[in-house]
Amino acid sequence: MALRYLASISHYIPEMLLCLTMAGLILIESTYGREVKGRAKGMVYAGAYLGLLATFVSLFKTMGTEPLQIFTGSIVIDSFGTLAKMVMVVGTAAAIYLGRQSLDIYEEVKSEFVILAIGVLIGGMLIVSANNMLIFYIGIETLSILSYVMASLKKNDERSSEAGLKYSLYGGITAGIMLFGMSHIFGVLGTIQFNEVIPAMAALTKTQSLIIMPAFVLFFAGIGYKIACVPFHMWSPDVYEGSPLPVTNFFSIVPKIAGVVALVRITNTFFGGDTSIVRETWVCLLMIASALTMTVGNVSAIGQRSVKRMLAYSSISHAGVMLLGVLVIDDLGARAILFYAVTYLFMTLVAFFITSFVQDHYGNDHFERFNGLISKHPLMSILMITVMFSLAGLPPLSGFVAKFNILAAIIAKKYYVLAVIAVLNSVVSLYYYLKIVRIMVFKDAESDETIPGFGFSNQLVITIMTLPVLLLGIFWEKLVVIAGGAKIFIQ
Amino acid sequence: MISLTSYLIISFCLFIAGMTVMIARKNIIAMLLGIELILNAAAINFVAYTRFVNQNLDGHVMSLFIIVIAAAEAAVGLAIVIRFFQIKETIHIDDATELQS
Repeated sequence: MALRYLASISHYIPEMLLCLTMAGLILIESTYGREVKGRAKGMVYAGAYLGLLATFVSLFKTMGTEPLQIFTGSIVIDSFGTLAKMVMVVGTAAAIYLGRQSLDIYEEVKSEFVILAIGVLIGGMLIVSANNMLIFYIGIETLSILSYVMASLKKNDERSSEAGLKYSLYGGITAGIMLFGMSHIFGVLGTIQFNEVIPAMAALTKTQSLIIMPAFVLFFAGIGYKIACVPFHMWSPDVYEGSPLPVTNFFSIVPKIAGVVALVRITNTFFGGDTSIVRETWVCLLMIASALTMTVGNVSAIGQRSVKRMLAYSSISHAGVMLLGVLVIDDLGARAILFYAVTYLFMTLVAFFITSFVQDHYGNDHFERFNGLISKHPLMSILMITVMFSLAGLPPLSGFVAKFNILAAIIAKKYYVLAVIAVLNSVVSLYYYLKIVRIMVFKDAESDETIPGFGFSNQLVITIMTLPVLLLGIFWEKLVVIAGGAKIFIQ
Repeated sequence: MISLTSYLIISFCLFIAGMTVMIARKNIIAMLLGIELILNAAAINFVAYTRFVNQNLDGHVMSLFIIVIAAAEAAVGLAIVIRFFQIKETIHIDDATELQS
């Protein structure tokens, strides 16, 4: 038994590395945090990047190996989860970089931001590879509890602490609802192991199906809250607006991707084979949720004045598009979601980076602050325009390929109405994405002063992050093959 | 003899009570208490199902974890409420109006 545990640990190195990194950073911060400011900061960032790099490398090495279950079947290691984890690690590293550059986080809590971000990443990696309701719950809570702290990182700011408050209240209640649903699923199916669910589900009687259907609806509340899909999205714009911008950037990447990927795994594991009434309910639920999420996100984004809030609503609508890939329940959908996650990561990062530097200079991020940006910072404006076109899903860019993959997956399953809704939403989203483009190109600048945030190194980082957006639009086959090879492990 | 049904009814009542508190009460501390009620309803369910339906330890372990995590969540929630109180000098949810568009 003990030997089996040791063997399991050898497959769990990425997460262990992250835990060690987090512990080490806490130690550094508590030892040197009050001393010479500059040196301690440097050590914290160096340690964080080192840990993330080591994690990335060890994840990369596990790609393509035989999928297996470890820790008595409570965690599953497969290339689907590993690819998603790699995306999240990259997102965290970029968010930490932005956290260092941004003026929106107080100087004395910058290293706490790093520590919390790595903690959230650990939670995200847990739910991505969860094969057990307990692990899933622990992962969700690790993700959430640390996120509450992150949202209220600006301690003396009214808006930030209010964001944290709203986040924790909504988070607590949805976690409770999810657990209540889980408890009934456990009671009816008699197991908390995900891979034992399919045989148990096939043996259900009619009455048991009737009990378990509302339980699954309650269960969905917990995940739906994490990815901010529509009945549970009310917290999202407020929290995104109130949190410091690097935190918003982080929230729109790591918890969202983790939630969607976990939802894919759960849907495929629970309903992969069977065609019972429970599966129909779940698919119907996902259909309604995704259609509503796309529409509400896009329509609400139109009237916003703050770019950050607009990006928050846009990330809600992107979650809706990703839900489309979930409800087809096949490998095509899973592949499309992985591709979407990669492109979404880079598009969101660039948009938030540029917004962050503009906001640091002017003190707020209203649309007018982007007036005439193209005459002051041509390169940055062109990159922002590229990203906006890509987010809207225009052809030569990667956003188009990502959306195309999702649409191909749902059309293959004959969900024509949903495909039409998705396309119409894409048109609506074009309006508000192009609004930024119009303002940047055709309006006159308020003043000639340049934005100090766009120094050489920051411009370089932003340019490097835009490259995948451009390249994946043209050379997408490679990533599609990689994502297609990353199969979900179902027993 | 207490049957499974009694436990389920009790936990359901707790769940409804918790939801009612969350919706009806305006005091943030009371809302945190409502969250605890919902979590405890789930924990009771897990223990009851384990006792009466399947005899393995999964449910017990699950309910222990629920208790531990609920404590962590309450700690963080209270810390945030204290910050909110120090800034706004109120713990009324209707005063959290900074972030409405």
